[in-house]
Amino acid sequence: MSTSLARLAERFTALLGPDGVITDPVRLRTYECDGLTNHRATPGVVVLPESAEQVAAVVRACAAEGVPYVARGSGTGLSGGALPRTDGVLIVTARMRRVLEIDIPNQRAVVEPGVINLDVTRAVRADGYYFAPDPSSQQICSVGGNVAENSGGAHCLKYGFTAHHVLACEIVTPDGEITELTADGPGYDLLGVFVGAEGTLGITTKITVRLTRVPETVQTLLAAFDSIESGGTAVSAIIGAGVVPAAIEMMDALSIEAAEAAVSCGYPPGAGAVLIVELDGPDAEVAHQFAEVERLCRQAGAFEIRIAADDAARALIWRGRKSAFAAVGRISPAYLVQDGVIPRTALPRVLGRIDALSAESGVRVANVFHAGDGNLHPLVLFDDAEPGAAERAEEVSGAILDLCIEHGGSITGEHGVGVDKSRYMPRMFTDTDLDTMQMVRCGFDPAGLCNPGKVFPTPRLCGEVPGVRKGVHPLVEQGKADLF
Amino acid sequence: MTAPIDSLAKVCGDVRAAGPEDGVLGAVPRLVAAPATVAEAAEVMRAAAELGLAVVPRGMETRLDWGLPPERCDLLVDTARLDRIVEHEAGDLVVKAEAGVRLGDLAAALAEHGQRLALDSPLPGATVGGTVATGSAGPLRLLYGSPRDLVIGLTIVRADGRIARSGGKVVKNVAGYDLGRLFAGSWGTLGLIVEATFRLHPMPAAAAYVSTVVPDPAAAHEAVQSVLHSPVAPSAVECAATPDGIAVGALLEGVPDGVTARSGQVNDLFGGGARVEQEPPAWWGGYPDGTTLIEITAPPTALAHADWLTGSATWSAAGRGLLGLPGDLTPERAAETLEGLRAALAPHKGGAVVRYAPEPVRDALDVWGPVPALSLMRRVKDQFDPERRLSPGRFVGGI
Amino acid sequence: MGAPEELPKLLNDCVHCGFCLPTCPTYVLWGEEMDSPRGRIHLMQQHQEGAPLSDAMVGHFDACLGCMACVTSCPSGVQYNRLIEMTRAEVEREHPRSAADRAIREMIFSLFPYPRRLRALRGPLRLYQRTGLDRLVRRSGVLERLSPSLAAMERLAPPLGKAPRLPGFVAARGERRATVGMLTGCVQREFFPGVNAATARVLAMEGCDVVIPKSQGCCGALSLHSGREDEARAFARRTIAAFERVEVVVVNAAGCGSSMKEYADLLADEPAWAGRAEALSARTRDLAEYLVELGPRAERRPLPVTVAYHDACHLAHAQGVRAQPRALLAGIPELTVREITDPGVCCGSAGTYNLLQPEAAAQLGDRKAANVRDTGAEVLVAANPGCSMQIADALGRQSGGKGVPMAVAHTAEVLDASLRGLGPEVFRARTS
Repeated sequence: MSTSLARLAERFTALLGPDGVITDPVRLRTYECDGLTNHRATPGVVVLPESAEQVAAVVRACAAEGVPYVARGSGTGLSGGALPRTDGVLIVTARMRRVLEIDIPNQRAVVEPGVINLDVTRAVRADGYYFAPDPSSQQICSVGGNVAENSGGAHCLKYGFTAHHVLACEIVTPDGEITELTADGPGYDLLGVFVGAEGTLGITTKITVRLTRVPETVQTLLAAFDSIESGGTAVSAIIGAGVVPAAIEMMDALSIEAAEAAVSCGYPPGAGAVLIVELDGPDAEVAHQFAEVERLCRQAGAFEIRIAADDAARALIWRGRKSAFAAVGRISPAYLVQDGVIPRTALPRVLGRIDALSAESGVRVANVFHAGDGNLHPLVLFDDAEPGAAERAEEVSGAILDLCIEHGGSITGEHGVGVDKSRYMPRMFTDTDLDTMQMVRCGFDPAGLCNPGKVFPTPRLCGEVPGVRKGVHPLVEQGKADLF
Repeated sequence: MTAPIDSLAKVCGDVRAAGPEDGVLGAVPRLVAAPATVAEAAEVMRAAAELGLAVVPRGMETRLDWGLPPERCDLLVDTARLDRIVEHEAGDLVVKAEAGVRLGDLAAALAEHGQRLALDSPLPGATVGGTVATGSAGPLRLLYGSPRDLVIGLTIVRADGRIARSGGKVVKNVAGYDLGRLFAGSWGTLGLIVEATFRLHPMPAAAAYVSTVVPDPAAAHEAVQSVLHSPVAPSAVECAATPDGIAVGALLEGVPDGVTARSGQVNDLFGGGARVEQEPPAWWGGYPDGTTLIEITAPPTALAHADWLTGSATWSAAGRGLLGLPGDLTPERAAETLEGLRAALAPHKGGAVVRYAPEPVRDALDVWGPVPALSLMRRVKDQFDPERRLSPGRFVGGI
Repeated sequence: MGAPEELPKLLNDCVHCGFCLPTCPTYVLWGEEMDSPRGRIHLMQQHQEGAPLSDAMVGHFDACLGCMACVTSCPSGVQYNRLIEMTRAEVEREHPRSAADRAIREMIFSLFPYPRRLRALRGPLRLYQRTGLDRLVRRSGVLERLSPSLAAMERLAPPLGKAPRLPGFVAARGERRATVGMLTGCVQREFFPGVNAATARVLAMEGCDVVIPKSQGCCGALSLHSGREDEARAFARRTIAAFERVEVVVVNAAGCGSSMKEYADLLADEPAWAGRAEALSARTRDLAEYLVELGPRAERRPLPVTVAYHDACHLAHAQGVRAQPRALLAGIPELTVREITDPGVCCGSAGTYNLLQPEAAAQLGDRKAANVRDTGAEVLVAANPGCSMQIADALGRQSGGKGVPMAVAHTAEVLDASLRGLGPEVFRARTS
């Protein structure tokens, strides 16, 4: 441990007590990665603060020593956003998990960052409310992590992302000050840029979330198609008809096979693709739209449609979809989960190209996706025991991202850029775009100590302001131009 | 020696000397440039940087007299010629439009495909750029949010004349910082907005406005709460002071049968006897009378104690209120009213901002009120506009 | 059990998704990665790669309750139950423990698995409780200072009544539907004799001939779940031999049932026993599981009482028995079943855990007791003697003699009361 880290560890022990600081190497190593295991770094020190004041004190101490720090919630991220620094401090918010206030009349709740996403819903369900962002990891991911990643989920098609459900955040700035960012106060919407900044602008210590009324009715159907193409036709038809479902999910034959192997979800045999469509809202609306969706699915060639009659049947329909990622482990020794977005209308073209990529390279790709918003989750399968297989899989996975960019999409719809995809950022954005984003970072964190090395492939030197001249303009100096 | 007007004319086809009618709250620019393309806008901004000109953007002037006057205003960049709808892929429910496109024109183009941008446009003529820059929204904010929630991609020209994009043209996208949210409501102080990409919604097949009149804010609060906590899923819930009392109304959108059924439910929640109309009631979603406009932000329950909800003031269940002060109010009285309002809103964690006011009133007031995180805002501003040339002084804390 | 070469493969199943974290009692308490299943698997991986079994590492393995909630929650099918059992055996083999720690462990393992020794303890305990000396000692805190583990043992002992002895055979009432063997257990038999009596009666009233072999002893659950494999195997062989002649072995203690269902794995490497072990595992049923399979025949009489049903970890997570006890309770007229918040989180009993990790166990007990209280139920129903003792203790501590008292009963006792037409007073009489 470096001397500055050793000094910090001592300081932290004084601040947080011995229970709040981890320095034992064996223990530290358990924090070496988040949900993405192919990037690992053992943190220099781990702290487990229990209050905003403690977080602020830790950040101030880091700032004084010039030591980088990274915040971590439940450690479920899939882009290495919480990858620690070996020369830095990992600030774990898992002990900041109190629901501080529930205000049903104002449809909001105030929680600490370590509170688990689903626990917010659990706390307000009896009042007929829920917290809308529902990432697949909602039973474990923290609200603080959701804020950092601007998490979505299967239902964000209709309800939006975390950014739309956070009204205010108390944050600790990289200066170690506690301040509040709000969505509708006077001044810049700093909250808007803070949410989704992947922890690079500060650490949130208190979050005011919007609560959403539980819909009167939820209706779910499962439609089986011969092919992904006909499933895609159904999706276009549903959206084209002006229906905004709560969720539209699609799985291809390979991912259905995996899900069957893992959880015996009993999807219609022989399906080349299944579509899960969920509608929610007032009874009368849902009844009408549901009939329309059913009709459109049949028209697009669905050979079997199942309608969930109750919660248990709905859970059964969703079980296959929700287990799909982990289930792929049953049909392949190893796999990469990709997360790319394309405009919905480009789905048939891009899926065709992915097929071709897979055929050319001999690398199998299972497709699971949020069809409603064009968010693809191709699962690239490989055998980690086979030399060179991981590299080939990585190549196919990267080529899929290129396809997304080529079709006007994005390199990440919900997993974030983190450390994993920062190298793809220049393919999606110009140097100026990235430089401009980093102006925000320079405003918040000129020293670049707050979760450095994430999102951006190369840091911006905050002292330099490209393109803007200082002092007297040469044209003025030469007498060729005039100043007002 | 080249005059600035000539330098600008080299890069932009429409540059002229400004007249008094081009003034922004009394600050009269020297020049007006109206670039026709994003590239031209970038050249204009680059030239302005080289010449050290202070720049104020202008759309259709619907809200140009909002906020504070710029400390300096050398060049007015008029977005009127940036008026193309760049891309509308109906199947993707996404539209990209240049800053000068008027919301009304955009709405007409989208309606042909049965789609809409779910943003109210209470002031006719408002442009895409101006709406984003001021973060304006109306009653639909309750369900759909404001520009920050609907902009999925933004193109700006920076102070140094470089073009920068963030977001993209897909709704689900977490690559990089979301500058769309940062620029929404930034009042031209961070850069020139030249293009915005929005997510769209299908045009509802049917709509109904269900309204009633109640005697006071407490009763209005009860009515609003009953709708908010019911499963009828309104698109908007509005209140407005009227001579007969406080009008309370809910907008329901959806399929015809659904809207009929839900209208009935809201009527029951209102205790029966409510009016059900296809078109908005006269008081719906407008700005109150008066020469000073105050915008209030507070959680929904603040309505119960909204003693200010008089005259032609309005309240939106999304947590926004609008209050107009009459022109005959002295600056001192206006300042007192504002401070009283802020004191009353403080327990609700609410605030009040003066949107526009006659100069003497404006001078007597604290237009913005307390601004949390102001120092962070200043630091962000310093990064984007280190020379303070973009709408200087127009915004909070002298930004 | 489990060849060591299997370990890397089992470890590799974990994809580090973290779904196990919120279900893990120690993670819920402390919020530390090393005290979550994901973190412990990471530690096992480190050990596998050559890191020595340090005190720190062993401390995190010891802190695991073995409640198996993580196994239920894992989407990738990680067999944490096998991983932690292998690891515990490794710890017992490789890691030297402190003298005090060793002494406590020896005492526990030379007492609990032996009903006769437990019985010997009953007399002094009853006297101790009757004289009121227990309250005095408890208030003095003297035991807490001497040893938290001893203090925990003292607190957990339930109020003891007269222990009826069960005969070797109880005949079916009416037409016989089956012949079942019944495991009487160690702690169940000595501390909750009423539960065994109720179990036998319920089975008989439902038409079962009940065989209660005298030759049975401890099933080995406590040893198995603490890494004492050789000891566990010896107990297992004896239990197999005792029950070889019945069609079904009915078990009313969740921990015992789950370990008997694991005999097949435990004795897999012993050719002489592997087949017999597998057969016994296949014949083992939890009482509730069996009664639902059998279907109700005896008349249920109304029992107007509100109960909260507690999922014992070794029933819900280890055996997947969740619906059956609830169905049995719901089948009783006028009885209301309430759900406890966070049903999947362990109460802190976990076999010997409340004896070896008393502080953590007490915190978990307090959480569980608070959630139980929140249901507003009059009776807590649990199907494991360890849980009953643990939660009763926590409820008692929590009410501090002032709160609303609450009775604790086994599913068998509730059914018994309904079948015999006893009123709810039978539970109210024994509140904690």
